[in-house]
Amino acid sequence: MIYAGIDIGSNTAKAALIKNNKLFGTHVISTGYNPLKAGIKVFKEVLEKIDILKRNVTAIVSTGYGRATVDFADKTMTEIICHGTGAHFMNSKVRGVIDIGGQDSKAILLDKNGNIENFAMNDKCAAGTGRFLEVMAHALEVNLDQLGDFANKADSPSKISSICTVFAESEVISMIAAQHKRENIIAGIHESAAARIAILAAKVKIKEPVIMTGGVAKNKAMIAALKKRLGCEITAGKLSQENGAIGAAVLASRL
Amino acid sequence: MQEIKIFHAAIKDIPAMALKIKAENKKIIGHLCSYTPEEIIHAAGFHPFRLFSSKSDIVLAENHLQAYCCSLVRGVLEDSLSGKLDFIDGTVFPHTCDSIQRLSDIWRMNKKYGFFADVILPVKLNTDSARTYMIDVLTKFKKEVETAAETKITDDDLNASIKTFNLIRKNLSAIYALQSQKPGIIKGSDLYALVKGSMIMDKNEVADLLPLIADNLEKMDTPETEGKRIVVSGSICDSPDIYTAIEDAGGIVVGDDLCTGQRWFDGEIDEKNTNPVNAIADRLMTRIICPAKHKGTTLRGENIVSLAKENRADGVIFILLKFCDPHAFDYPWLKDFLEKEGIKTMLIEIDDQQQSSGQLSTRFETFIHMI
Repeated sequence: MIYAGIDIGSNTAKAALIKNNKLFGTHVISTGYNPLKAGIKVFKEVLEKIDILKRNVTAIVSTGYGRATVDFADKTMTEIICHGTGAHFMNSKVRGVIDIGGQDSKAILLDKNGNIENFAMNDKCAAGTGRFLEVMAHALEVNLDQLGDFANKADSPSKISSICTVFAESEVISMIAAQHKRENIIAGIHESAAARIAILAAKVKIKEPVIMTGGVAKNKAMIAALKKRLGCEITAGKLSQENGAIGAAVLASRL
Repeated sequence: MQEIKIFHAAIKDIPAMALKIKAENKKIIGHLCSYTPEEIIHAAGFHPFRLFSSKSDIVLAENHLQAYCCSLVRGVLEDSLSGKLDFIDGTVFPHTCDSIQRLSDIWRMNKKYGFFADVILPVKLNTDSARTYMIDVLTKFKKEVETAAETKITDDDLNASIKTFNLIRKNLSAIYALQSQKPGIIKGSDLYALVKGSMIMDKNEVADLLPLIADNLEKMDTPETEGKRIVVSGSICDSPDIYTAIEDAGGIVVGDDLCTGQRWFDGEIDEKNTNPVNAIADRLMTRIICPAKHKGTTLRGENIVSLAKENRADGVIFILLKFCDPHAFDYPWLKDFLEKEGIKTMLIEIDDQQQSSGQLSTRFETFIHMI
């Protein structure tokens, strides 16, 4: 039997299919303005990609901030539950999950069976989220996917003291004016975001092995900054961005 | 239930309700704390009225307060400065947290409402000298109210007010107990309306209505809707959306340790005491305490554990106002007490002006799934 998970995030919509308890296919598109349309589209496209029909899908779970808009889902689950479940599905040894998405970041502690033992989520503000990195990339005129490469070339990371994204942006602009090296500012931005995430990780008393999920896990410099800050090994799989949708599909199979 | 609708109507249009009270030639005395000796205000023929923020944008108050003051203090000051509270005839500031104490100064210097009193209650409540001091403060306050009301408050007046407030407290406690026995019998937003309404509406009307509601609830069967049993703890929760978000996430609030909840109506005044001022003081000394008071280092922890156990709570959600330092300093301590008993907890920090958000729902849903 085939089960689907649909994760409507603030930036991207993800879909995952599982069949016989194995990952069967995934797909990512950008969310745009209408989360329901994004849900319909990403589901349709993942089915086309694998070449199966909608009626062959036994159950669907939706997740992410737009989960409630996916009216064709059988159940909604929060992205925290789905990321925890997805991480355990991909690697059953995982105890700690750090999920950095477009507008929020979470630290999740799992028990040995993959159940959520504790979690912490950033407050309303964008500090330590994907949006923070986006705003900074814009201020520094760097493409978002180049941020990591720039950070890796830093020799002396600049110190960003502001927590608030808006204040940090003006701090960065002052650094640009003071002719700090772009690489150093970017490395400083990653360290600043890592410091925010470390607070969440400490709140849940995170345990190893730790994996990173969410769109920001594609940024290797962010992983490196987190490793340094948390003092532990952190890995990210190739499907880190799709992890929430995978977890949703696993939960659909348990309905 | 028709009676509950009256409470909802009152809290929906507070100025209109206040005008109704004023039409009966009663003066309205605003206050900000559940330690306000409301019986004394009431016995003088005044209407004690808990101040809540109207939740409008903060503009004028910004010029008076630092960024680290909580949204309740900002919101209420904003309402005062923008003229939204012009219907009140006086204000009473009991000694609570630093922000409310200093709000008292800003208030006094920027707005004249007629009657004004700072009631410097003792902070430490577990000594004999504190009780003596409490009685002195209440006696002084009674004199100030008498001067303002140009009347003498007799023991009979006080006893009558004590009776009214006891009736309110007794019935709110009964309604809470019924919700705990038969979870879901009353919606969280209704429970919120009952407590908030009781704090602002005419006390005699409230004392008449609550027994009817309690009787009706008594007769009702336990609803079939299942949910995890949640106790909430914190300062104030002036947002019905939060109760609804907890219910939507699969929880039912079965008890609370809130200033806008059980802390306000906990404990009745001894009606047999021949000295009513002493009786009022004794209740203030013995009711469940808030973090701005002290009664031994472990009492608040023991209270929250027994509250959670008595209500068979599956989890405790701490709802704190951002920048509320008395509660924020107590939180890790209370959390430890609960965790030692195996009771899971979650913390959310809110702004009084903030409505329930998607992020809040995500946290509630995950927590309720987890417990």
